[in-house]
Amino acid sequence: MPRGQKSKLRAREKRQHARDESQGLQGAQATEEDHGMLPSSSPVLGDSPPSSPVSIWQESERTPVIPTPAAALLYKKSDGGVESQDEESPSPSQVPTPNKDPLSRKVTKLVHFLMEKYVMKEPIRKADMLKIVNKKYKKHFPEILRKTTEHLEVVFGLELEEVGPSSGFYALTSQLDISSGRALCGDMGIPRTGLLMNLLGLIFMKGNRVAEEEIWEFLNMLGICPGRRHLIFGEPKKFLTKDLVQEGYLEYRQVPSSDPPRYEFLWGPRAHAEITKMKVLEVLAKLNDTVPSAFPDLYEEALRDEAERAHARVVARARNRGMANASSKAMSSSSSHM
Amino acid sequence: MGEPHSRSSRLGGGPEPGCRPSPPSQFELFFSVGLVIWEEGAGGWSNMQCSTRRMGIITDVHRRFLQLMMTHGVLEEQDVTRLQKHCYKVHDRNATVEKLEDFINNINSVLEPLYIEVKKGVTEDDGRPIYALVNLATSSVSKMASDFAENELDLFRKALELIIDSDSGFASSTNILNLVDQLKGKKMRKKEAEQVLQKFVQNKWLIEKEGEFTLHGRAILEMGQYIRETYPDAVKMCNICHGLLIQGQSCETCGIRMHLPCVAKYFQSVSEPRCPHCNDYWPHEIPEVFNPEKEREAAGVSKANRKSLRSRQH
Repeated sequence: MPRGQKSKLRAREKRQHARDESQGLQGAQATEEDHGMLPSSSPVLGDSPPSSPVSIWQESERTPVIPTPAAALLYKKSDGGVESQDEESPSPSQVPTPNKDPLSRKVTKLVHFLMEKYVMKEPIRKADMLKIVNKKYKKHFPEILRKTTEHLEVVFGLELEEVGPSSGFYALTSQLDISSGRALCGDMGIPRTGLLMNLLGLIFMKGNRVAEEEIWEFLNMLGICPGRRHLIFGEPKKFLTKDLVQEGYLEYRQVPSSDPPRYEFLWGPRAHAEITKMKVLEVLAKLNDTVPSAFPDLYEEALRDEAERAHARVVARARNRGMANASSKAMSSSSSHM
Repeated sequence: MGEPHSRSSRLGGGPEPGCRPSPPSQFELFFSVGLVIWEEGAGGWSNMQCSTRRMGIITDVHRRFLQLMMTHGVLEEQDVTRLQKHCYKVHDRNATVEKLEDFINNINSVLEPLYIEVKKGVTEDDGRPIYALVNLATSSVSKMASDFAENELDLFRKALELIIDSDSGFASSTNILNLVDQLKGKKMRKKEAEQVLQKFVQNKWLIEKEGEFTLHGRAILEMGQYIRETYPDAVKMCNICHGLLIQGQSCETCGIRMHLPCVAKYFQSVSEPRCPHCNDYWPHEIPEVFNPEKEREAAGVSKANRKSLRSRQH
């Protein structure tokens, strides 16, 4: 039955009143009550099941989640904002809210905020992030930021980093475009890009040996620091000085006659075996959008290296042939004696 | 400080490292693409993990998919499947492309603790399936908040109200523009408001038809919850799917309403359509059920026509 004017007016007034109550809401999470159930769809007021507003067909398999007290809670929160509800114990008349810890909720809020910034390609100010987190949790901000960064990386493949030291500005970049080039080389030893490639390149560029301090300086720029466990290769210092050395890709030794002892990195035997300087230079050049000959000194050295390897191959082949001839001669002579 | 909470990493998509013929090189570990997350009982942020939650495994395929869904806002189903295939091609060439529904369910299980979801909906006018990455925690038009100024947002809210109050689900441009004086924030002129309305159409928040405006499927997906909460009395529901209804058909006798795609499905191959509530003859034209195959055929035919036209012109 189409509605009369009066009822429409009344409805509008009611609505205005309800909206004024909820003005203070920011990111209110009506789905809190669903925690522990399957909160697949947004909860709905009244008695209609929470199908996606326009479609029946997708939502029908999901468990309907309809805590009507949600409405009451939603509007109760308008005084003092969302936070106040967490710290106090729920009053007996309310549906017991699962204690979603307030810090987690701040993380969620910050993740949503940063997602928007990413889509809009807008710069991210630390001050804005602090506003989202709210003064009350300011001292927890580093933890919240760290957790947010982790979520963005793991779920979206987005990296949040500060633009320059203490600039107050952050940027979100996709890690995927870099890593998609790093396809796993199934049968090969060394993949064409990656941390090790960077290290080998660095070592090559610096004259085939690099002081440990310089390596750390370089790695710090990538966010890899000794003592800070990395998601994939664990503790970086151990990874470099033990794991990679054991694998034979790096050599780690004391700088001769250094007092106090300092250390340096060189290419390990396996690196020499599996890859050539020319290959490393090719990768370096590609990463810098140029060609190997753009680095004349390195190019020369790489050419020399190629020549040496070619020579070594020829010698080795000759030796093998010689040995084969010798052994066949020996065999034929022995057989003739039979 | 110190270690991040423990999280087991299942590295690589293949057999466990222990079963390989030779120990995996550090590089293969480094370039692994699999990560199991949301392990049970990981300390610290206690309630982020709940034992009833499914474990989701996502790889760079899913991440790229999410990045693209984020930037596109809303996509039709065929574009979503194309997107999914593209992501597989880029990151995991040899894997079989998972069925879209399962793919999305997997992603959603990972997004759950973050109160985000890849939500599926259907356009109200022609029943096309659409998808959007939706923030479940909003109780306002906050998704738009970063794109628009305060007075623009208020214009949207005014238009939204008119749309919800209307019988047809459409609000005329004139009626919306007449409310320009009541807007919060900086004063806006009618001319400017016209342009803002066009901006809403371009960004897929509103649809315009013959000078009238209604909500785009995207707005319904993203703000459905907000709309239901803010206008509980004025909001209309579909008698078939019980979802929020903006545009649809209604029974002239008893007043119940149905979405056009719901009408199409409900009355498909029914010779004498009758109201499910009062059984009176259903007076409206029954639309066709959306058929993606037909769409593709039509697209193919028009392409072929264009091609032959071109060749003839030479």
